[in-house]
Amino acid sequence: MIRKPIPQSWRVGLGVASFLLLIGAYSYLSHRQLEENPDDRSIPSWSRLWSDGVVRVFTPNEHTGEVWIWQDFQATFRERLLAGMLVGVGVSLLVGLLMGCYDPLEAFFLPPLAFLAKIPPVAMLAVFFVLVGSGFEMYVTMIAFGIVPVLAQSIYHAAKDDVPDELLHKAYTLGASQMESIYNVIYKQTLPRIIDGVRLQVGPAMVYLIAAEWIAADVGFGYHLRLQSRLLDMSVVYVYLIVLGAVGFFLDFVLTRLRLWLCPWYGH
Amino acid sequence: MTDHVLECQNVGHWFGKTRVLHDVNLKIVRGEIVAVVGPSGCGKSTLLRAILGTHPPKAGAVLMNGEPVTSPGRARGIVYQRYSLFPFLTAQENVAFGPMLDRTTLPFRFLRSLGAARRMHKEHLNLAAEMLEKVKLGNALKRYPAEMSGGMCQRVAIAQALVMKPQIILLDEPFGALDEATREELQAMLLGLYQENLDAKRAGDPPPYTILIVTHELHEAIYVSDRVAGLSQYWAWDQAGHVSAPGATIVYDAVAPVFHPDEPREFGEFLEQREEIRSTVFEPEVPELPGKHLRFWKEIEAGKGPGVLSLSE
Repeated sequence: MIRKPIPQSWRVGLGVASFLLLIGAYSYLSHRQLEENPDDRSIPSWSRLWSDGVVRVFTPNEHTGEVWIWQDFQATFRERLLAGMLVGVGVSLLVGLLMGCYDPLEAFFLPPLAFLAKIPPVAMLAVFFVLVGSGFEMYVTMIAFGIVPVLAQSIYHAAKDDVPDELLHKAYTLGASQMESIYNVIYKQTLPRIIDGVRLQVGPAMVYLIAAEWIAADVGFGYHLRLQSRLLDMSVVYVYLIVLGAVGFFLDFVLTRLRLWLCPWYGH
Repeated sequence: MTDHVLECQNVGHWFGKTRVLHDVNLKIVRGEIVAVVGPSGCGKSTLLRAILGTHPPKAGAVLMNGEPVTSPGRARGIVYQRYSLFPFLTAQENVAFGPMLDRTTLPFRFLRSLGAARRMHKEHLNLAAEMLEKVKLGNALKRYPAEMSGGMCQRVAIAQALVMKPQIILLDEPFGALDEATREELQAMLLGLYQENLDAKRAGDPPPYTILIVTHELHEAIYVSDRVAGLSQYWAWDQAGHVSAPGATIVYDAVAPVFHPDEPREFGEFLEQREEIRSTVFEPEVPELPGKHLRFWKEIEAGKGPGVLSLSE
Protein backbone atom coordinates (compact mmCIF):
# COMPACT_ATOMS: atom_id res chain seq x y z
CA MET A 1 0.00 0.00 0.00
CA ILE A 2 1.31 3.43 -0.90
CA ARG A 3 2.56 5.41 2.13
CA LYS A 4 1.55 2.74 4.62
CA PRO A 5 3.67 3.52 7.69
CA ILE A 6 6.08 0.94 9.15
CA PRO A 7 7.20 0.58 12.80
CA GLN A 8 10.37 2.42 13.86
CA SER A 9 12.17 -0.88 14.54
CA TRP A 10 11.59 -1.91 10.93
CA ARG A 11 12.88 1.41 9.71
CA VAL A 12 16.14 1.08 11.67
CA GLY A 13 16.46 -2.59 10.75
CA LEU A 14 16.07 -1.92 7.02
CA GLY A 15 18.59 0.93 7.18
CA VAL A 16 21.15 -1.33 8.88
CA ALA A 17 20.35 -4.13 6.43
CA SER A 18 21.13 -1.92 3.42
CA PHE A 19 24.56 -1.09 4.90
CA LEU A 20 25.20 -4.74 5.67
CA LEU A 21 24.29 -5.57 2.08
CA LEU A 22 26.87 -3.07 0.85
CA ILE A 23 29.53 -4.55 3.13
CA GLY A 24 28.55 -8.06 2.08
CA ALA A 25 28.71 -7.18 -1.61
CA TYR A 26 32.14 -5.64 -1.13
CA SER A 27 33.39 -8.70 0.78
CA TYR A 28 32.12 -11.00 -1.98
CA LEU A 29 33.66 -8.98 -4.80
CA SER A 30 36.96 -8.67 -2.96
CA HIS A 31 37.02 -12.42 -2.21
CA ARG A 32 36.29 -13.32 -5.83
CA GLN A 33 38.92 -10.90 -7.16
CA LEU A 34 41.61 -12.15 -4.76
CA GLU A 35 40.85 -15.78 -5.64
CA GLU A 36 41.60 -14.98 -9.27
CA ASN A 37 44.65 -12.89 -8.51
CA PRO A 38 46.04 -12.77 -4.93
CA ASP A 39 48.12 -9.65 -5.76
CA ASP A 40 45.15 -7.63 -6.95
CA ARG A 41 44.88 -4.22 -5.27
CA SER A 42 41.67 -2.93 -6.86
CA ILE A 43 39.30 -4.44 -4.27
CA PRO A 44 41.50 -5.17 -1.23
CA SER A 45 40.40 -7.47 1.56
CA TRP A 46 39.22 -5.97 4.86
CA SER A 47 42.54 -6.73 6.54
CA ARG A 48 44.49 -5.04 3.73
CA LEU A 49 42.09 -2.14 3.82
CA TRP A 50 42.92 -1.76 7.51
CA SER A 51 46.68 -2.22 7.32
CA ASP A 52 47.39 -0.45 4.00
CA GLY A 53 44.59 2.08 4.25
CA VAL A 54 43.42 3.09 7.68
CA VAL A 55 46.69 2.57 9.54
CA ARG A 56 48.76 4.35 6.91
CA VAL A 57 46.46 7.27 6.58
CA PHE A 58 45.99 7.83 10.31
CA THR A 59 49.56 7.09 11.53
CA PRO A 60 51.90 10.09 11.92
CA ASN A 61 54.76 10.20 9.46
CA GLU A 62 58.04 8.91 11.02
CA HIS A 63 60.08 11.90 9.85
CA THR A 64 57.65 14.83 9.93
CA GLY A 65 55.18 13.58 12.54
CA GLU A 66 52.31 14.70 10.33
CA VAL A 67 49.13 12.72 9.81
CA TRP A 68 48.13 12.60 6.14
CA ILE A 69 44.46 12.73 6.48
CA TRP A 70 44.52 15.41 9.15
CA GLN A 71 46.57 17.67 6.89
CA ASP A 72 44.18 17.04 4.05
CA PHE A 73 41.18 17.56 6.28
CA GLN A 74 42.54 20.92 7.44
CA ALA A 75 43.20 22.07 3.89
CA THR A 76 40.02 20.78 2.29
CA PHE A 77 37.36 21.32 4.91
CA ARG A 78 38.62 23.74 7.54
CA GLU A 79 40.11 26.17 5.08
CA ARG A 80 38.81 25.85 1.55
CA LEU A 81 35.28 24.49 1.97
CA LEU A 82 34.51 26.66 5.00
CA ALA A 83 35.74 29.87 3.36
CA GLY A 84 34.07 29.04 0.04
CA MET A 85 30.75 28.23 1.68
CA LEU A 86 30.88 31.35 3.87
CA VAL A 87 31.47 33.62 0.89
CA GLY A 88 28.97 31.76 -1.29
CA VAL A 89 26.20 31.69 1.34
CA GLY A 90 26.80 35.34 2.30
CA VAL A 91 26.57 36.56 -1.29
CA SER A 92 23.57 34.33 -2.06
CA LEU A 93 21.72 35.52 1.04
CA LEU A 94 22.22 39.17 0.21
CA VAL A 95 21.46 38.87 -3.51
CA GLY A 96 18.62 36.36 -3.08
CA LEU A 97 16.78 38.30 -0.37
CA LEU A 98 17.12 41.62 -2.17
CA MET A 99 15.94 40.06 -5.44
CA GLY A 100 12.91 38.65 -3.65
CA CYS A 101 12.11 42.07 -2.20
CA TYR A 102 12.79 44.51 -5.02
CA ASP A 103 11.68 44.04 -8.62
CA PRO A 104 14.48 46.15 -10.20
CA LEU A 105 17.11 43.99 -8.49
CA GLU A 106 15.23 40.87 -9.56
CA ALA A 107 15.23 42.10 -13.17
CA PHE A 108 18.93 42.96 -12.95
CA PHE A 109 20.28 39.81 -11.30
CA LEU A 110 17.99 37.03 -12.48
CA PRO A 111 19.13 36.68 -16.14
CA PRO A 112 22.88 36.42 -15.38
CA LEU A 113 22.26 34.08 -12.45
CA ALA A 114 20.04 31.81 -14.55
CA PHE A 115 22.72 31.82 -17.25
CA LEU A 116 25.66 31.20 -14.91
CA ALA A 117 23.78 28.37 -13.20
CA LYS A 118 23.89 26.49 -16.49
CA ILE A 119 27.71 26.59 -16.84
CA PRO A 120 29.38 23.81 -14.86
CA PRO A 121 31.87 25.60 -12.55
CA VAL A 122 34.42 22.84 -13.16
CA ALA A 123 34.43 23.82 -16.82
CA MET A 124 35.30 27.37 -15.79
CA LEU A 125 38.44 26.29 -13.95
CA ALA A 126 40.68 27.88 -16.57
CA VAL A 127 38.92 31.21 -16.05
CA PHE A 128 39.50 31.05 -12.29
CA PHE A 129 43.17 30.16 -12.91
CA VAL A 130 43.61 33.26 -15.01
CA LEU A 131 41.66 35.55 -12.71
CA VAL A 132 42.78 34.54 -9.22
CA GLY A 133 45.69 32.16 -9.72
CA SER A 134 45.94 28.65 -8.36
CA GLY A 135 46.09 29.31 -4.61
CA PHE A 136 43.55 29.41 -1.81
CA GLU A 137 41.53 32.13 -3.58
CA MET A 138 40.88 29.84 -6.50
CA TYR A 139 39.15 27.24 -4.36
CA VAL A 140 37.04 29.86 -2.63
CA THR A 141 36.10 31.44 -5.95
CA MET A 142 35.30 28.05 -7.43
CA ILE A 143 32.96 27.07 -4.59
CA ALA A 144 31.33 30.50 -4.38
CA PHE A 145 30.83 30.68 -8.14
CA GLY A 146 29.46 27.17 -8.11
CA ILE A 147 26.86 27.60 -5.41
CA VAL A 148 25.81 31.27 -5.71
CA PRO A 149 23.71 30.99 -8.91
CA VAL A 150 21.68 28.09 -7.54
CA LEU A 151 21.50 29.13 -3.88
CA ALA A 152 20.72 32.79 -4.62
CA GLN A 153 17.90 31.72 -6.93
CA SER A 154 16.43 29.36 -4.36
CA ILE A 155 16.57 32.05 -1.64
CA TYR A 156 15.02 34.52 -4.08
CA HIS A 157 12.15 32.12 -4.84
CA ALA A 158 11.59 31.47 -1.15
CA ALA A 159 11.58 35.20 -0.36
CA LYS A 160 9.23 35.99 -3.21
CA ASP A 161 6.80 33.08 -3.03
CA ASP A 162 6.82 31.84 0.57
CA VAL A 163 5.87 35.12 2.18
CA PRO A 164 2.36 36.14 1.09
CA ASP A 165 1.76 39.85 0.43
CA GLU A 166 -0.84 39.77 3.18
CA LEU A 167 1.80 39.12 5.83
CA LEU A 168 3.92 42.02 4.61
CA HIS A 169 0.90 44.31 4.58
CA LYS A 170 0.10 43.17 8.07
CA ALA A 171 3.66 43.91 9.17
CA TYR A 172 3.25 47.47 7.86
CA THR A 173 0.04 47.88 9.87
CA LEU A 174 2.05 46.79 12.92
CA GLY A 175 4.53 49.58 12.27
CA ALA A 176 7.32 47.70 10.46
CA SER A 177 9.84 49.64 8.38
CA GLN A 178 11.26 48.23 5.12
CA MET A 179 14.37 46.91 6.86
CA GLU A 180 12.23 45.33 9.56
CA SER A 181 9.97 43.75 6.95
CA ILE A 182 13.01 42.22 5.26
CA TYR A 183 14.71 41.02 8.44
CA ASN A 184 11.83 40.31 10.83
CA VAL A 185 9.36 38.89 8.32
CA ILE A 186 10.94 37.74 5.04
CA TYR A 187 14.29 36.54 6.41
CA LYS A 188 12.74 34.90 9.47
CA GLN A 189 10.10 33.10 7.46
CA THR A 190 12.50 31.88 4.76
CA LEU A 191 15.27 30.86 7.20
CA PRO A 192 14.40 27.13 7.15
CA ARG A 193 14.38 27.18 3.35
CA ILE A 194 17.71 29.00 3.38
CA ILE A 195 19.29 26.43 5.71
CA ASP A 196 17.90 23.61 3.57
CA GLY A 197 19.27 25.32 0.47
CA VAL A 198 22.72 25.55 2.08
CA ARG A 199 22.47 21.90 3.12
CA LEU A 200 21.73 20.84 -0.44
CA GLN A 201 24.66 22.90 -1.74
CA VAL A 202 27.26 21.24 0.51
CA GLY A 203 27.38 18.27 -1.88
CA PRO A 204 27.94 20.30 -5.07
CA ALA A 205 30.46 22.52 -3.22
CA MET A 206 32.46 19.40 -2.34
CA VAL A 207 32.31 18.26 -5.97
CA TYR A 208 33.74 21.57 -7.18
CA LEU A 209 36.40 21.62 -4.49
CA ILE A 210 37.59 18.05 -5.04
CA ALA A 211 37.69 18.68 -8.80
CA ALA A 212 39.80 21.80 -8.33
CA GLU A 213 42.10 20.03 -5.86
CA TRP A 214 42.41 17.13 -8.29
CA ILE A 215 43.96 19.46 -10.78
CA ALA A 216 45.78 22.15 -8.88
CA ALA A 217 46.47 21.22 -5.25
CA ASP A 218 49.49 19.83 -3.43
CA VAL A 219 47.54 19.01 -0.30
CA GLY A 220 43.90 18.09 0.29
CA PHE A 221 41.46 15.28 -0.37
CA GLY A 222 41.33 15.83 -4.12
CA TYR A 223 45.11 15.86 -4.39
CA HIS A 224 45.60 12.65 -2.44
CA LEU A 225 42.75 10.87 -4.18
CA ARG A 226 44.34 11.65 -7.54
CA LEU A 227 47.80 10.58 -6.36
CA GLN A 228 46.65 7.30 -4.81
CA SER A 229 44.35 6.48 -7.74
CA ARG A 230 47.32 6.80 -10.08
CA LEU A 231 49.33 4.46 -7.86
CA LEU A 232 46.30 2.16 -7.80
CA ASP A 233 46.56 2.30 -4.03
CA MET A 234 42.88 1.57 -3.60
CA SER A 235 43.08 0.87 0.15
CA VAL A 236 43.87 4.54 0.70
CA VAL A 237 41.32 5.68 -1.87
CA TYR A 238 38.49 3.78 -0.16
CA VAL A 239 39.42 5.16 3.25
CA TYR A 240 39.42 8.69 1.83
CA LEU A 241 36.04 8.12 0.20
CA ILE A 242 34.54 6.83 3.45
CA VAL A 243 35.90 9.85 5.35
CA LEU A 244 34.51 12.18 2.65
CA GLY A 245 31.10 10.54 2.97
CA ALA A 246 31.23 10.71 6.77
CA VAL A 247 32.14 14.42 6.78
CA GLY A 248 29.36 15.18 4.29
CA PHE A 249 26.93 13.19 6.40
CA PHE A 250 28.05 15.04 9.53
CA LEU A 251 27.62 18.47 7.88
CA ASP A 252 24.16 17.45 6.74
CA PHE A 253 23.29 16.36 10.26
CA VAL A 254 24.60 19.61 11.79
CA LEU A 255 22.61 21.77 9.36
CA THR A 256 19.45 19.76 9.96
CA ARG A 257 19.86 20.18 13.73
CA LEU A 258 20.55 23.88 13.19
CA ARG A 259 17.28 24.21 11.30
CA LEU A 260 15.36 22.38 14.01
CA TRP A 261 16.96 24.58 16.66
CA LEU A 262 16.49 27.93 14.88
CA CYS A 263 13.09 27.17 13.31
CA PRO A 264 11.12 24.97 15.71
CA TRP A 265 7.93 26.09 13.96
CA TYR A 266 8.94 24.63 10.60
CA GLY A 267 7.68 21.26 9.45
CA HIS A 268 4.65 21.01 11.72
CA MET B 1 -19.81 66.86 16.64
CA THR B 2 -19.54 63.47 14.95
CA ASP B 3 -16.11 61.93 15.22
CA HIS B 4 -15.34 60.52 11.75
CA VAL B 5 -12.53 58.01 11.78
CA LEU B 6 -12.48 57.23 8.10
CA GLU B 7 -14.09 58.57 4.98
CA CYS B 8 -14.28 57.14 1.48
CA GLN B 9 -14.81 60.06 -0.84
CA ASN B 10 -16.04 59.27 -4.36
CA VAL B 11 -13.75 56.26 -4.45
CA GLY B 12 -13.39 54.64 -7.88
CA HIS B 13 -11.15 51.85 -9.03
CA TRP B 14 -10.57 49.88 -12.21
CA PHE B 15 -8.19 47.30 -13.64
CA GLY B 16 -7.60 48.05 -17.31
CA LYS B 17 -11.04 48.16 -18.88
CA THR B 18 -12.72 46.37 -15.99
CA ARG B 19 -14.51 48.87 -13.79
CA VAL B 20 -14.68 47.71 -10.21
CA LEU B 21 -15.68 50.56 -7.91
CA HIS B 22 -17.67 53.65 -8.80
CA ASP B 23 -18.23 56.69 -6.64
CA VAL B 24 -18.15 54.88 -3.31
CA ASN B 25 -18.92 57.17 -0.38
CA LEU B 26 -18.78 55.96 3.18
CA LYS B 27 -18.14 57.80 6.42
CA ILE B 28 -17.33 55.73 9.45
CA VAL B 29 -17.81 57.11 12.93
CA ARG B 30 -15.62 56.21 15.91
CA GLY B 31 -17.01 53.24 17.79
CA GLU B 32 -19.07 51.79 14.94
CA ILE B 33 -18.94 48.22 13.71
CA VAL B 34 -19.78 48.54 10.02
CA ALA B 35 -20.45 45.43 7.97
CA VAL B 36 -19.90 45.64 4.23
CA VAL B 37 -21.77 43.01 2.25
CA GLY B 38 -22.07 42.39 -1.45
CA PRO B 39 -22.25 39.75 -4.14
CA SER B 40 -19.02 37.97 -4.99
CA GLY B 41 -16.89 39.94 -7.42
CA CYS B 42 -18.46 43.26 -6.43
CA GLY B 43 -15.16 44.74 -5.26
CA LYS B 44 -15.41 44.34 -1.48
CA SER B 45 -11.78 43.29 -1.29
CA THR B 46 -10.73 46.09 -3.63
CA LEU B 47 -12.46 48.59 -1.36
CA LEU B 48 -10.79 47.05 1.67
CA ARG B 49 -7.37 47.25 0.03
CA ALA B 50 -8.00 50.89 -0.86
CA ILE B 51 -8.85 51.60 2.77
CA LEU B 52 -5.87 49.60 4.00
CA GLY B 53 -3.67 51.61 1.64
CA THR B 54 -2.00 48.79 -0.27
CA HIS B 55 -3.91 49.68 -3.44
CA PRO B 56 -4.97 53.34 -3.24
CA PRO B 57 -8.06 54.15 -5.33
CA LYS B 58 -7.63 55.47 -8.86
CA ALA B 59 -10.40 58.02 -8.39
CA GLY B 60 -11.49 59.84 -5.26
CA ALA B 61 -9.73 59.33 -1.94
CA VAL B 62 -9.78 57.47 1.32
CA LEU B 63 -9.28 59.99 4.10
CA MET B 64 -8.23 59.44 7.68
CA ASN B 65 -8.35 62.52 9.86
CA GLY B 66 -8.59 64.54 6.64
CA GLU B 67 -5.37 63.07 5.21
CA PRO B 68 -5.47 60.75 2.17
CA VAL B 69 -4.41 57.15 2.78
CA THR B 70 -1.63 56.16 0.37
CA SER B 71 0.10 53.24 2.07
CA PRO B 72 -0.60 50.74 4.83
CA GLY B 73 0.29 52.01 8.27
CA ARG B 74 -0.33 51.47 11.93
CA ALA B 75 -3.52 53.57 12.04
CA ARG B 76 -5.40 50.71 10.35
CA GLY B 77 -5.23 47.14 11.63
CA ILE B 78 -6.10 44.18 9.46
CA VAL B 79 -7.30 40.63 10.02
CA TYR B 80 -7.36 38.40 6.94
CA GLN B 81 -9.22 35.17 6.40
CA ARG B 82 -6.02 33.33 5.45
CA TYR B 83 -2.37 34.06 6.26
CA SER B 84 -3.57 35.74 9.38
CA LEU B 85 -0.47 35.09 11.53
CA PHE B 86 3.31 34.99 11.23
CA PRO B 87 3.96 31.22 11.19
CA PHE B 88 7.41 31.54 12.77
CA LEU B 89 6.15 33.23 15.94
CA THR B 90 4.17 31.74 18.81
CA ALA B 91 0.74 33.12 19.66
CA GLN B 92 2.29 35.37 22.30
CA GLU B 93 5.11 36.53 20.03
CA ASN B 94 2.63 37.22 17.24
CA VAL B 95 0.73 39.59 19.50
CA ALA B 96 3.93 41.11 20.94
CA PHE B 97 5.30 41.60 17.42
CA GLY B 98 3.40 44.87 16.84
CA PRO B 99 4.41 46.60 20.09
CA MET B 100 7.97 45.40 19.52
CA LEU B 101 8.14 46.82 15.98
CA ASP B 102 6.39 49.94 17.08
CA ARG B 103 8.40 50.80 20.15
CA THR B 104 11.89 49.49 19.44
CA THR B 105 14.31 49.72 16.54
CA LEU B 106 16.13 46.94 14.71
CA PRO B 107 19.61 47.74 16.15
CA PHE B 108 18.11 48.05 19.63
CA ARG B 109 16.62 44.58 19.35
CA PHE B 110 19.99 43.09 18.44
CA LEU B 111 21.09 44.08 21.92
CA ARG B 112 18.32 41.98 23.44
CA SER B 113 20.70 40.40 25.89
CA LEU B 114 21.32 43.78 27.50
CA GLY B 115 19.17 44.84 30.43
CA ALA B 116 16.99 47.58 28.91
CA ALA B 117 16.17 45.67 25.74
CA ARG B 118 15.41 42.51 27.66
CA ARG B 119 13.09 44.32 30.06
CA MET B 120 11.30 45.91 27.12
CA HIS B 121 10.94 42.56 25.36
CA LYS B 122 9.45 41.10 28.51
CA GLU B 123 7.07 44.02 28.80
CA HIS B 124 5.78 43.38 25.27
CA LEU B 125 5.34 39.68 25.99
CA ASN B 126 3.39 40.48 29.15
CA LEU B 127 1.18 42.88 27.24
CA ALA B 128 0.59 40.15 24.64
CA ALA B 129 -0.26 37.63 27.35
CA GLU B 130 -2.85 40.03 28.79
CA MET B 131 -4.37 40.57 25.37
CA LEU B 132 -4.54 36.82 24.68
CA GLU B 133 -6.21 36.37 28.05
CA LYS B 134 -8.85 38.82 26.88
CA VAL B 135 -9.60 36.71 23.79
CA LYS B 136 -9.65 33.58 26.01
CA LEU B 137 -6.38 32.13 24.79
CA GLY B 138 -4.34 32.47 27.96
CA ASN B 139 -3.48 28.76 27.79
CA ALA B 140 -2.07 28.82 24.25
CA LEU B 141 0.67 31.44 24.57
CA LYS B 142 3.52 29.22 23.44
CA ARG B 143 1.76 27.55 20.53
CA TYR B 144 2.76 28.16 16.93
CA PRO B 145 -0.01 28.95 14.40
CA ALA B 146 0.37 25.49 12.86
CA GLU B 147 -0.44 23.99 16.25
CA MET B 148 -3.69 25.93 16.66
CA SER B 149 -7.14 25.55 15.15
CA GLY B 150 -8.47 28.08 12.64
CA GLY B 151 -10.63 29.69 15.32
CA MET B 152 -7.70 30.08 17.73
CA CYS B 153 -5.58 31.62 14.96
CA GLN B 154 -8.30 34.18 14.22
CA ARG B 155 -8.52 35.06 17.92
CA VAL B 156 -4.78 35.63 18.00
CA ALA B 157 -5.03 37.70 14.82
CA ILE B 158 -7.73 39.86 16.40
CA ALA B 159 -5.63 40.26 19.56
CA GLN B 160 -2.68 41.17 17.34
CA ALA B 161 -4.71 43.96 15.76
CA LEU B 162 -6.31 45.10 19.05
CA VAL B 163 -3.03 45.42 20.92
CA MET B 164 -1.91 48.16 18.53
CA LYS B 165 -5.01 50.26 19.35
CA PRO B 166 -5.41 51.30 15.71
CA GLN B 167 -8.02 53.90 14.77
CA ILE B 168 -9.90 51.28 12.78
CA ILE B 169 -9.64 47.51 12.45
CA LEU B 170 -10.43 45.97 9.06
CA LEU B 171 -11.72 42.39 9.05
CA ASP B 172 -11.63 40.68 5.65
CA GLU B 173 -14.09 37.77 5.79
CA PRO B 174 -12.43 36.83 9.09
CA PHE B 175 -14.69 33.91 10.02
CA GLY B 176 -15.33 32.59 6.52
CA ALA B 177 -13.27 29.43 6.92
CA LEU B 178 -14.48 28.52 10.42
CA ASP B 179 -17.10 26.05 11.59
CA GLU B 180 -20.44 27.35 12.77
CA ALA B 181 -19.82 27.03 16.52
CA THR B 182 -16.43 28.78 16.39
CA ARG B 183 -17.86 31.47 14.17
CA GLU B 184 -20.62 32.16 16.68
CA GLU B 185 -18.09 32.39 19.50
CA LEU B 186 -16.00 34.92 17.59
CA GLN B 187 -19.07 36.90 16.61
CA ALA B 188 -19.97 37.08 20.29
CA MET B 189 -16.45 38.33 20.94
CA LEU B 190 -17.01 41.21 18.51
CA LEU B 191 -20.28 42.02 20.26
CA GLY B 192 -18.31 42.09 23.52
CA LEU B 193 -16.00 44.71 22.04
CA TYR B 194 -19.05 46.70 20.98
CA GLN B 195 -20.35 46.61 24.54
CA GLU B 196 -17.04 48.12 25.66
CA ASN B 197 -17.65 50.87 23.11
CA LEU B 198 -21.08 51.55 24.54
CA ASP B 199 -19.70 51.59 28.10
CA ALA B 200 -16.97 54.04 27.09
CA LYS B 201 -19.49 56.26 25.35
CA ARG B 202 -21.75 56.26 28.40
CA ALA B 203 -18.79 57.22 30.55
CA GLY B 204 -18.06 60.11 28.18
CA ASP B 205 -14.87 58.56 26.76
CA PRO B 206 -14.12 57.94 23.09
CA PRO B 207 -15.15 54.37 22.19
CA PRO B 208 -11.99 52.26 21.80
CA TYR B 209 -12.85 50.02 18.84
CA THR B 210 -13.94 51.01 15.36
CA ILE B 211 -14.34 48.01 13.08
CA LEU B 212 -15.12 47.48 9.41
CA ILE B 213 -16.00 43.90 8.62
CA VAL B 214 -16.32 42.59 5.09
CA THR B 215 -18.45 39.47 4.90
CA HIS B 216 -20.63 37.57 2.48
CA GLU B 217 -22.79 36.19 5.30
CA LEU B 218 -25.91 38.33 5.69
CA HIS B 219 -26.82 36.95 9.10
CA GLU B 220 -23.34 37.68 10.35
CA ALA B 221 -23.40 41.19 8.89
CA ILE B 222 -26.64 42.13 10.64
CA TYR B 223 -25.79 40.32 13.87
CA VAL B 224 -22.33 41.71 14.63
CA SER B 225 -22.65 45.22 13.26
CA ASP B 226 -24.58 48.34 14.14
CA ARG B 227 -24.67 49.34 10.47
CA VAL B 228 -24.79 47.38 7.23
CA ALA B 229 -23.51 48.84 3.98
CA GLY B 230 -24.25 46.99 0.75
CA LEU B 231 -21.80 47.26 -2.13
CA SER B 232 -23.18 46.08 -5.45
CA GLN B 233 -22.54 46.21 -9.16
CA TYR B 234 -26.28 45.76 -9.72
CA TRP B 235 -27.80 49.23 -9.93
CA ALA B 236 -29.46 51.28 -12.66
CA TRP B 237 -26.31 52.90 -14.00
CA ASP B 238 -27.98 53.39 -17.38
CA GLN B 239 -30.49 55.69 -15.68
CA ALA B 240 -27.54 57.69 -14.38
CA GLY B 241 -26.29 58.26 -17.93
CA HIS B 242 -23.55 55.59 -18.10
CA VAL B 243 -23.26 53.68 -21.37
CA SER B 244 -21.40 50.77 -19.80
CA ALA B 245 -21.22 49.31 -16.30
CA PRO B 246 -19.18 51.76 -14.20
CA GLY B 247 -18.57 49.35 -11.30
CA ALA B 248 -20.03 48.69 -7.89
CA THR B 249 -21.22 51.37 -5.57
CA ILE B 250 -22.92 51.58 -2.18
CA VAL B 251 -26.60 50.73 -2.76
CA TYR B 252 -27.64 50.03 0.81
CA ASP B 253 -26.73 51.76 4.06
CA ALA B 254 -28.83 51.35 7.18
CA VAL B 255 -28.58 50.82 10.93
CA ALA B 256 -28.61 47.26 12.20
CA PRO B 257 -29.96 46.05 15.52
CA VAL B 258 -27.41 45.80 18.32
CA PHE B 259 -27.29 42.55 20.25
CA HIS B 260 -25.77 41.78 23.61
CA PRO B 261 -23.27 38.88 23.40
CA ASP B 262 -25.20 36.92 26.03
CA GLU B 263 -28.58 37.43 24.40
CA PRO B 264 -30.03 34.38 22.63
CA ARG B 265 -29.85 34.80 18.88
CA GLU B 266 -33.22 35.49 17.35
CA PHE B 267 -32.60 35.50 13.65
CA GLY B 268 -36.33 35.99 13.13
CA GLU B 269 -35.84 39.57 14.35
CA PHE B 270 -33.85 40.57 11.33
CA LEU B 271 -35.49 38.48 8.63
CA GLU B 272 -37.11 41.57 7.18
CA GLN B 273 -33.85 43.47 6.94
CA ARG B 274 -32.10 40.43 5.55
CA GLU B 275 -34.69 40.15 2.79
CA GLU B 276 -34.38 43.85 2.02
CA ILE B 277 -30.58 43.60 1.71
CA ARG B 278 -30.85 40.49 -0.41
CA SER B 279 -33.21 42.11 -2.90
CA THR B 280 -31.35 45.45 -2.96
CA VAL B 281 -27.75 44.28 -3.02
CA PHE B 282 -27.66 40.73 -4.36
CA GLU B 283 -30.50 40.71 -6.89
CA PRO B 284 -29.30 41.48 -10.44
CA GLU B 285 -32.83 41.76 -11.83
CA VAL B 286 -34.28 44.76 -10.01
CA PRO B 287 -31.90 47.60 -10.70
CA GLU B 288 -32.67 50.99 -9.35
CA LEU B 289 -30.69 54.11 -8.64
CA PRO B 290 -28.95 54.02 -5.29
CA GLY B 291 -30.48 56.45 -2.87
CA LYS B 292 -33.70 54.92 -1.65
CA HIS B 293 -31.90 52.48 0.62
CA LEU B 294 -29.14 54.84 1.73
CA ARG B 295 -30.92 55.86 4.90
CA PHE B 296 -28.32 55.43 7.60
CA TRP B 297 -27.72 59.12 8.36
CA LYS B 298 -31.47 59.89 8.23
CA GLU B 299 -32.08 57.08 10.69
CA ILE B 300 -29.42 58.48 13.00
CA GLU B 301 -30.96 61.95 12.79
CA ALA B 302 -34.32 60.43 13.60
CA GLY B 303 -32.75 58.79 16.65
CA LYS B 304 -33.32 55.28 15.36
CA GLY B 305 -29.81 53.95 15.80
CA PRO B 306 -29.48 51.79 18.88
CA GLY B 307 -25.67 51.89 18.86
CA VAL B 308 -22.89 54.29 19.80
CA LEU B 309 -24.33 57.02 17.59
CA SER B 310 -27.64 57.16 19.39
CA LEU B 311 -26.13 57.84 22.78
CA SER B 312 -26.03 61.54 23.50
CA GLU B 313 -22.87 63.22 22.27
